[in-house]
Amino acid sequence: MVRVENIQKHFGSLKVLKGIDLDIQEKEIVVIIGPSGSGKSTLLRCINFLEMPDKGKVFINQHEVKTNNHDINGLRARVGMVFQHFHLFPHMTVLENVMEGPVQVKKIAKNKARKAAAELLEKVGLSDKADEYPEMLSGGQKQRVAIARSLAMEPEVILFDEPTSALDPELVGEVIDVIDDLAREGMTMAIVTHEIWFARKVAHKVIVMDEGKIIEQGPPEQVFDNPTHPRTQQFLKQVFNE
Amino acid sequence: MEKFFPWDVSVIFTKFPTFLHAALITLQITTSGILVGLIAGFVFALLKISYNKPLKAIASTYIFVVRGTPLLLQLFIIYYGLTTVVAIPPFPSAIIALGFHNGAYIAEIFRGSIESIPVGQMEAARSIGMSYRKAMQRIILPQAFKRAIPPLGNQFIIALKDSSLASTIAVPELLLRGRQLGSSSFKYMEMLVIVAVYYLLLTTLLHFILNKIDKKLTSGKRKARKIW
Repeated sequence: MVRVENIQKHFGSLKVLKGIDLDIQEKEIVVIIGPSGSGKSTLLRCINFLEMPDKGKVFINQHEVKTNNHDINGLRARVGMVFQHFHLFPHMTVLENVMEGPVQVKKIAKNKARKAAAELLEKVGLSDKADEYPEMLSGGQKQRVAIARSLAMEPEVILFDEPTSALDPELVGEVIDVIDDLAREGMTMAIVTHEIWFARKVAHKVIVMDEGKIIEQGPPEQVFDNPTHPRTQQFLKQVFNE
Repeated sequence: MEKFFPWDVSVIFTKFPTFLHAALITLQITTSGILVGLIAGFVFALLKISYNKPLKAIASTYIFVVRGTPLLLQLFIIYYGLTTVVAIPPFPSAIIALGFHNGAYIAEIFRGSIESIPVGQMEAARSIGMSYRKAMQRIILPQAFKRAIPPLGNQFIIALKDSSLASTIAVPELLLRGRQLGSSSFKYMEMLVIVAVYYLLLTTLLHFILNKIDKKLTSGKRKARKIW
């Protein structure tokens, strides 16, 4: 579904990604873990060109995405993104946030988009917040709205960039539940997360990154229970000690 | 007594209404100047943040020149300096000078408010497939305009007061009117006090309107709260 080939990216003299290949199959859930600074978020952001890769190719359904506005905007309309810090539009109500993409990008009629948005809010359990402004919501609620906003574009795959890292611990569950529901519905997803227990639960494939490279990948049982790379062993040990 | 207070207060009241027309001219120059300034400011702000180097350079040069030279000089260049090419009458000269002068400051206000919007907003807008233009229109600018209102208000008040420089090129606005009536009646202080009162009334009115707009747009969200 989405495939990247030999993605490389540097910031100044720092090589953040040193040639990453990644293939996300339809209905597959890929969880990317690794120590901070290992390039997980940058990889995710390169997939939809929020960071322009220095080198490498991105394919969606076998079609290479060229680096022009037409291709990139087209890709982004099909690849959803959920950010660590939500980035809801503060000047719009919750409902308007969710409607914005369909109305402005897909040119869907407003009343139709409103209905669809209301259904999505119900799905993430926030029907009662439809007319509130984002500043009135808790972090967990904001992230659920952000997920609904992404879903409204009916993406073929959603990229989650540490969706629970900015949340108070007691709010992590409600966001995880929503992602879990999507997993059960067969949504294709790539998730960067530090929630190992969640990765173990939903991932079909776990990717471990370190210093801009994929050092290990496989099904969660294999990666978590029998990690082969010493850096993976070390990283998991640190995570579980916390 | 005459020596310590040599002024005739009653003149201030009796002559007050005769300045009304001049006050309207001050208001006209100011509002037209602000309008030109808002348009110029918006255009140059967009040029300044664009990725197009030549356009960016044009905007930077404009801002550099206008902010680095006195408004009075700019006014003279337009009114006196350009006469050999095109003779612009005093009133439009004043509007053009005030407009382009304020345009540079307003461009910086808009640029600052646009750049103060977190980059995540642009990323979120782009990530749902919006073009740069659409993201600007729908997401960035509406938020940036709100933030620009308080500094714009200050700039408008400065523009109102700066419009008095038009008196130097014979625009019959408040200050010129005060000087004319002062010299013809030898009651300079009285006339200048009237001018001062008019300016205070106008700035107060402007403050009031701007506060109303700001309150309406922020709708109690930015309520001042006492921090202990």
